[in-house]
Amino acid sequence: MENEEENKPAENGEEPLKEENEEEAAQKEEGEGDEEEPANIEDLTEDALALKAELAKIVVHPPASEPAPMEEFDQSEFSPSYKDNLPKENLVLQYAENFRRQMVQLYRDRKPLFLNPINECGIEKFVCTTIRPTQLEYKELYNWEGAAEFVADYLNIEPLKPEYELPKRLISPTTVLKRQKGNCFEYSTLLCSLLIGAGYDAYVVSGYATKETCLADESRDICPLLKKKEEIKAEEKKKEIKKYNVKPPRDLRSKFELKQEAKRKAEKEAEEEKRRKEEEERIAELEKPPPDPYYGLRIHAWVLVLSGKREVPENFFIEPFTGLSHSVDSANYLGIESVWNNINYWVNMQDCSEGVKGLSYDLGDCTVWEYMFPNNDKPLLRIPEAEDDILDGLDDDEDNEENEVEKYLDMPPSWVDALKLSLRDFQMRCPQGKKTKLYKRAKLEKFAHYLMKDGLVSKLSVFENKELTDLIMTREYFAHRLDKLTQRVTDQRKGLVIENFEPGRPRCLKEHTYRSSAPGPENDRTMLFYHEARVDGLVKRVESPTEMTEEYVNRDDFLYYKHVEYGKRTKKFGPQESSPAKNSRPILKMVQKFHRNRNKAANEDIAELVFHMSEDKIQISYHTEDPRIASSTREYLKPANWDEKGAILTFSSDMHQTFQVDPTEPHKKQVELYQVLLMLLKAEEKCRSDVLDSEQEVRAILDDRVKEETASDLDISVYDTERNEKAKKHRRELERQQLEEKMRKQEMDIDYLAPFLAKIGNPEKLAKAQAFSLKEECLQDLKQRLIDKANLIQARFEKESQALEEKQLWYQKNQVSMGKEDEEQYLTYCKDAIFRIHILDQRLARHKEQAPHKYMQLEQKLRSDERLAEFF
Amino acid sequence: MSRLYDTVEPAVIDEEMLKKAVEEQGPKEEAGKIAKQEGIDFKDVLSLRLDFLNVLKIDNLWEFTALTKLQLDNNIIEKIEGLDELVNLVWLDLSFNNIEVLDGLDALTKLEDLTLYSNRISTIENMDNLLNLHVLSLGRNNLSELENLRYLRRFKKLKTLNLSDNPFCKQDEYKQYVIAFLSNLDFLDYRLIDQQSREAAIERYQVSRDEMLHNEKQAELKKEEEIKRMKGLELHKAAYVEMMDGPDLFDQMYREDVEGQKLSEMPEKFVAVCSQIFDFGLVEHKKREEEVKQFWECVEEAKQENKEIGMKAIDNFTNMKKKVLQELAQISDQKMLEQRVSEYNKQITELWDHLMGLELQLVDQLEEVIKDFERNMQDLVSSFIENIQAYLTQCRDLENIHHEKMTENSIVILEKAMKNELDDEISEDLRLLLVDKDTIINALSSSHDVHMLKIDNKEDDIVTRINNWLKGMMENIHQDEEIARNRMRVSEVNNMIDHLRDEIDNLEMMQGGNY
Repeated sequence: MENEEENKPAENGEEPLKEENEEEAAQKEEGEGDEEEPANIEDLTEDALALKAELAKIVVHPPASEPAPMEEFDQSEFSPSYKDNLPKENLVLQYAENFRRQMVQLYRDRKPLFLNPINECGIEKFVCTTIRPTQLEYKELYNWEGAAEFVADYLNIEPLKPEYELPKRLISPTTVLKRQKGNCFEYSTLLCSLLIGAGYDAYVVSGYATKETCLADESRDICPLLKKKEEIKAEEKKKEIKKYNVKPPRDLRSKFELKQEAKRKAEKEAEEEKRRKEEEERIAELEKPPPDPYYGLRIHAWVLVLSGKREVPENFFIEPFTGLSHSVDSANYLGIESVWNNINYWVNMQDCSEGVKGLSYDLGDCTVWEYMFPNNDKPLLRIPEAEDDILDGLDDDEDNEENEVEKYLDMPPSWVDALKLSLRDFQMRCPQGKKTKLYKRAKLEKFAHYLMKDGLVSKLSVFENKELTDLIMTREYFAHRLDKLTQRVTDQRKGLVIENFEPGRPRCLKEHTYRSSAPGPENDRTMLFYHEARVDGLVKRVESPTEMTEEYVNRDDFLYYKHVEYGKRTKKFGPQESSPAKNSRPILKMVQKFHRNRNKAANEDIAELVFHMSEDKIQISYHTEDPRIASSTREYLKPANWDEKGAILTFSSDMHQTFQVDPTEPHKKQVELYQVLLMLLKAEEKCRSDVLDSEQEVRAILDDRVKEETASDLDISVYDTERNEKAKKHRRELERQQLEEKMRKQEMDIDYLAPFLAKIGNPEKLAKAQAFSLKEECLQDLKQRLIDKANLIQARFEKESQALEEKQLWYQKNQVSMGKEDEEQYLTYCKDAIFRIHILDQRLARHKEQAPHKYMQLEQKLRSDERLAEFF
Repeated sequence: MSRLYDTVEPAVIDEEMLKKAVEEQGPKEEAGKIAKQEGIDFKDVLSLRLDFLNVLKIDNLWEFTALTKLQLDNNIIEKIEGLDELVNLVWLDLSFNNIEVLDGLDALTKLEDLTLYSNRISTIENMDNLLNLHVLSLGRNNLSELENLRYLRRFKKLKTLNLSDNPFCKQDEYKQYVIAFLSNLDFLDYRLIDQQSREAAIERYQVSRDEMLHNEKQAELKKEEEIKRMKGLELHKAAYVEMMDGPDLFDQMYREDVEGQKLSEMPEKFVAVCSQIFDFGLVEHKKREEEVKQFWECVEEAKQENKEIGMKAIDNFTNMKKKVLQELAQISDQKMLEQRVSEYNKQITELWDHLMGLELQLVDQLEEVIKDFERNMQDLVSSFIENIQAYLTQCRDLENIHHEKMTENSIVILEKAMKNELDDEISEDLRLLLVDKDTIINALSSSHDVHMLKIDNKEDDIVTRINNWLKGMMENIHQDEEIARNRMRVSEVNNMIDHLRDEIDNLEMMQGGNY
């Protein structure tokens, strides 16, 4: 107990804890002061003694100046602007110091302002100059959402220490980007730099916030990915009241009873509502964070975006740790000390006792915002144009005015280097490409693109309880997958897996829902398809072990629904058949439904076709004629030998039954009925084969999925030069070729006559004698050079051999006294020297061989040179 | 023509030949057997082949009204005839015959494929109605005039044409001529027309082709205008104000008034009133149409709603029926069965009750609405008539004023004439009238009477026509909407209920038979 109490003041040393420690401190003081007391005792009266005793109780422990060891930076990697201040910067610093002093003078009880922290090189820098407006080349950073999300993702949080004190140091955004971590001020400065660079009217805000905000603790917030989008209810089309609308039939129910019923219902609903509310309140109470001892003292920095620029309709805050926007009266923020951007610094003069609610952000209003530099670019309180007129009238005054403006101190340019971010770093997003965030009953993991082998980019796990142990559902998002998988939702409770795909797959699968316990064919599953891309217009296929339903759109044959019922597979004895299609489930019943085909009469247009396979029966229902309500039906019994191949199918009138809506319509002839039957048999066969095809397709899709899942290749765009190996190779090859081409061209361009022409003063035209001498000279020169080269090689050769000889001599002399190491050294030297000599020898030989050729070549060239050609 | 069988007697298309052909070409195998047992109606036959039969005259085909394909090739037919009943023909083959004149094809408006290969035709003509023609074969005929081919321009859908082995094919420009003037063609004489030859041909006949195109365009525009005019007139007629947008009525007034013409002076005001009537008529017509449209919309809506409820009820019943029938098939206890069946019968009765109730409700609703509508229409019509009468009264007033002025004037002029102070400008006819007071007054009053009569006639015409229209429409509505519809629905419901009852009775008997 004692120890704790002792330590605390040492650490904090601030007023809020003073009283708690009073007594203890007093006791201590008394103990220590025993010796001194007798010396002065005569001079003091009783009262004075009492006062002394009283005063002795009050003791302050000076804060132990033991700052957390600051991270050291390698000074050499910074540019000079980091390590020194320009005179103007010094001026600004003095100005700021003066401003601070005035503020302290005028408002004694205010907390210190965040003005001149040191940078990573230990140099004091004014906070406004630390903002470096930069627009990076990534389009995702052009909007504030993207920029804020990037900053939140890219950096790791370093909480302030202690949390109620301003940091001593503010590291430049460039270094922050490099380290990928920072405190709230560094976060905000970086984000502000990006936002101002992108044209937003953004400010860093220094103030106070709740514990959750300061520590970026989102475990009490619902994950933004889980927030349900508000469903836009399609407004029910009100029935137009027309002149001749028929009256509805009279309602013959008792009005009283209806009323009673409605009353009861309303009561019940109210009760339900109440219960639910209570429950909600209870839960909210449970989940409330524990009270925070430093409530209202925790220092935090965030970003304020004012309306006006970039079509921002109203002011809002951005929390740099989460990248989310908050309204200006958010309860998360408790007070504002000051705001600044790269141009000016404003101190808040408004009362923040009720948080940030109702603060005015009219920075031009000097009654609520005390500015530091007079060159306020917010001239919101300007005196009307009258003054302008005066100014216009008096030129002299204007000049003075301008001079005066000159005298104002304006903000020096930022000392920070331009922000740089490589594409690779940008795409990695998070430090090491991974980040995990905890939300209320949810966990979100983010991964950089192409980082995970299976293309996973984020994974959201939803839990039942707060401790995140009881998993309900996981949602995984994928990108760049070759199999076009974009999302997979696994419902742990129901054991369902839902996979979503982008368009472009073979067989056009869009969504696939299946049981994770039974992924094989002939089980419960739902498949949705991109029907626009399918020839058969299939939209949906729902399967269960005993049924299959397919839905279609936009088919030429007007089919829109197909339903199949299966029976139990008959057990076959004997050898297992290899192909599963052969041993398919027996079909009991097939139902096909068709839309109305307006080109046919309603009584000819089939609406529903039911094949009772087990009863050898076919039922047809036709569409309903427009003015009628009943529809015709027809029923066939299949001829006994229908499935014999090539058999002649007999037909008798008792195989057919019909009901015609219009009794007056003539009955169909037997031939026609017979032909309809043949057509139906064919349709049945087709339907059956279609069903088999569908089953086959399901199997094929599942096989594909299994293969894809094991391969899980990623698709690399041809435009992605970084990752696409092939493209990279191709580009390198191209570059190499270009280089070679350039070299060759350069070679071609060397003019061997130029120096000799220069010697005779570059004449326009050559005389014959001149030409001859020129040629001679040129050849002579080459000859000389070739000889020189040969001589040079020879000289080197001789030198080498001489050195070798000397070494050998030396070796022979000292051979006896030499150690093993020296001997080895000697041997390696010899080997090298011999190699060199050998090479020189070869070179000389080669030179000798080539020199005449070179000579001839030049002569040939000179002959054909257009300047000399006319003479030879 | 060299025919091997010249000596064979020409055959006549008779019942026997047709029957044989139909049976031969009709359904095969089992279907054929069934068809034979039952007999085939000629009016059901879709395609018929009568080739190599030495037929001389096309005859006795009037029964085949559904026929879409007819082959009469390789006969000795000399004249196209007897095809007027076969309006559904799409495919007609008359090749290898002795036809000399194109004729008798006017009724075959649906014809798409016509083959007249190897005949003796010398002019293309009398095919104005065959606007759907896709394929035409006129090879090996006697066509010699290239100009005659322009006749084929009217067939906009014609894509394939065969003209080979005609006399004009020997001319050099034959092919280019055809391609240039029949630009819609894709195939000529068994070959695809390529872009190159098409361009060359068009270039060659540029001038005359352009002229032709221009003329055709003019004609088309004229036709369109005519159609537009006719449409406008129709609309005006429907509004009962036809020919009122100009001085037509006035002209009419004077047309049958010989003497009046001599005295005529054109009163501008009259025309103004007429055009007022015209505008008013159009506005009123629109109103009436709107009213009628709204009425029908509402009626259709009500009917649709009613129908949906009915269909739902039937649907529900059908589902229930399926279940009950399945159940019945499984129940073996006689007593249970009977109980079930009686329950089922009760449900049928309930369905009948429900459907009939719906129908009665609809009848009530419609009756009320129709009454409303009739009243409103009556109001509209009567206000229209009143207004028209008011306008025509204005016309009469104008005429009266005009008459008075004329009388005054004529008397003055007569006096002048008496005094021989008349201007020379007055026509000879008028001079004849200016004999004495009686003559001129008589002439004037008779002219006045004629005018009045014209106006009265117009009024009567308008009033009777609009009244007839209203009466006709209301009668139709009563007849169709109230009576016919109700009868149909009631009979439909009864028929269905009867069917359901029969079904269960049959089932019961069958089941009963089992025991």
